[in-house]
Amino acid sequence: MKISTLLSGIFLFLGISPVFAQSDSTLAKRKSLWLNYENTTLDPLNGRIYYEQRLDRNPLYGLLEMRKSLADNNIHEYLPMFQGIIIGKYKLGSKITASVPTLEERQNQRIKFFPHPSRYKFDFWIQPLFSAVFGYRKQTLQSNTSVLLQTQFYLWQGMVLNAGILFPITNDMNSHPKIIRPAPVFLNQFYAFGKNFISASAGYFYNDQYGVNVQYRHTDMTNPWSFGAEAGLTGYYYYPRGGIYAGPLDQLFLQADVAYRLTQPDITLKLSGGQYLWKDRGVRVDFVKQFTNVEIGLYAMKTVNGATAGFNFAIPIPPGKILQGQNARLRTTDQFRWEYSYTRGFQIGERYRTGYALDQKLRQYHTNYLNSQREN
Amino acid sequence: MNLKLILVSSTLVNKIRIFFTRKGNSLLPFLVILCASTSGYGQMNISGKPGLMYVPSASETKEGNFQFGINYNPINYGFRFNKKNSENIYFINVTIVPRLEVNVNLLRINNEKINGQKGIGDRQIDFKYLILKEKKYQPSLALIISAPFGIDNSLTTNALVATKSFKLSGKLAAEVTAGLGSPYYIQRDDSEKDNYNIFQDLKFRKKKELAYYYLSGPIGGVNFKYANKGGLMVEWDSQHLNIGAYGTLFKRWTIQAGVINFDQITFGTSYALNLKTLPKRLKKANEN
Repeated sequence: MKISTLLSGIFLFLGISPVFAQSDSTLAKRKSLWLNYENTTLDPLNGRIYYEQRLDRNPLYGLLEMRKSLADNNIHEYLPMFQGIIIGKYKLGSKITASVPTLEERQNQRIKFFPHPSRYKFDFWIQPLFSAVFGYRKQTLQSNTSVLLQTQFYLWQGMVLNAGILFPITNDMNSHPKIIRPAPVFLNQFYAFGKNFISASAGYFYNDQYGVNVQYRHTDMTNPWSFGAEAGLTGYYYYPRGGIYAGPLDQLFLQADVAYRLTQPDITLKLSGGQYLWKDRGVRVDFVKQFTNVEIGLYAMKTVNGATAGFNFAIPIPPGKILQGQNARLRTTDQFRWEYSYTRGFQIGERYRTGYALDQKLRQYHTNYLNSQREN
Repeated sequence: MNLKLILVSSTLVNKIRIFFTRKGNSLLPFLVILCASTSGYGQMNISGKPGLMYVPSASETKEGNFQFGINYNPINYGFRFNKKNSENIYFINVTIVPRLEVNVNLLRINNEKINGQKGIGDRQIDFKYLILKEKKYQPSLALIISAPFGIDNSLTTNALVATKSFKLSGKLAAEVTAGLGSPYYIQRDDSEKDNYNIFQDLKFRKKKELAYYYLSGPIGGVNFKYANKGGLMVEWDSQHLNIGAYGTLFKRWTIQAGVINFDQITFGTSYALNLKTLPKRLKKANEN
């Protein structure tokens, strides 16, 4: 008797609640979407929202879900940030449009940043690393695989300390000991003025290189043309048992590039050239297609050391968000990049990686890319 | 309370019914074994290109179409070590922009006799460009080229093919493909030790000099399709007459099998996605 009353109560509740809880559930949904964002500033006076969203590589998630989360018709300008720096001013109409923030607007945001250093979550993410050499008959797959638990510390506007722990899984590419060690630790300063962007890094990078690296790019999120340059001075490092070995800073890396974004078909062509690692010099052509979650590229290059071609891709590792609260988050990486080359072991056009490549980051914010996804 | 229970159970039953009807529809082709694909999802040839068993077709695929899978090639028709090893061919096929497909495949031999003979397998990148789209009286026309940069290309496709679909009745259609496979292929005469220039030492070779070859000369075939659910196929791969069948489950998962030269069996499976389709999360957010 008691159980049946209880059951009927539950059923009644289940039956009725969706009817009058409609607005409650959308409110809960909005709140949970809001949790995805960091460093948010509402500026109702100017109808603006400033925010940062680190969960997804594709900024369309941030833009559209912010609109959903706000449900405020008076907000009509969206200013997504990266490392506390405004990328652009976006408007969401039937087409997404973008304009360049003025120096004043950027300064306004800067002032807001200082008194609130705790506007960011403790963000931890799991990042796999995989490099491989194929085709030696004695050992068909020589690979170096590891899983990284990474985080970032926001020091001041644009300045981030990247750090983490590296757990090795396989290594038969070199004689480095398979020990749990620090993941690449480096500082990165991101900076923007007008249509110009700078990413400067110093520390211990990926692919066993340490030193300094500066990337510059001129890009307008509505213009097909963009160009950039990159310079780095690095040396070899690795972690032997009980310490760190760092060789001399003898690798000068110098690159310049120009990219053009076609609309029909929707692809980016990039021509780059300069000096690569191991003093190799040459040119490279990239053909890049950005899908919603996946980026696929084809490339060919000719250098002093040889000629090669191949493909690369960038994918997010599912499931994305694992745990998320007000102040902390655990997620899988928004970006796993991998490149295949037809040749191996001849030091043709090799490079090292810092956290993100400036051109890869910025081309995600191009309005043509954002709009192309909504055309379906 | 009773009313609530009935409501709950009736929605449950509805869900189950919907589930079964869907499954029923997808299983139908297996019973009928008649089947097709207008969206590009469906049968993939031995190297992972939309087509018949060995013959690729010129059918148009949508931008963002992404198919991956594996095919088994029997020992007597082995590309790498003919009559010595059967092969598994792993593949990914992406329609990277409208009209342009990129196919990446990896051929691995089975039961290697000498340790290390297999290696990681032969990697191959192929391109297919759709020159003409199918119209009422015009077949689609496509050029397929294998990038000649691999050192040892045993599974190359260099062909010009045309495909035209004819409606037979209701959901039944015949997709006819005809074309010409190049009797020559390009070989890069390098060893692993001096493989540093992919544009070097490229030489034209006759396919006839190979232990086994296919797609050399006239090729063609017909795929009798039943809606997008499956089909029966017959083809001439320039050397042999092959027959086969396939079925597509849940619109995305294709299972296929065929008999080569009335002699040995080939089979495979593939799964299709579209990279342009908005994920649920974005679709919801876009609707607002």
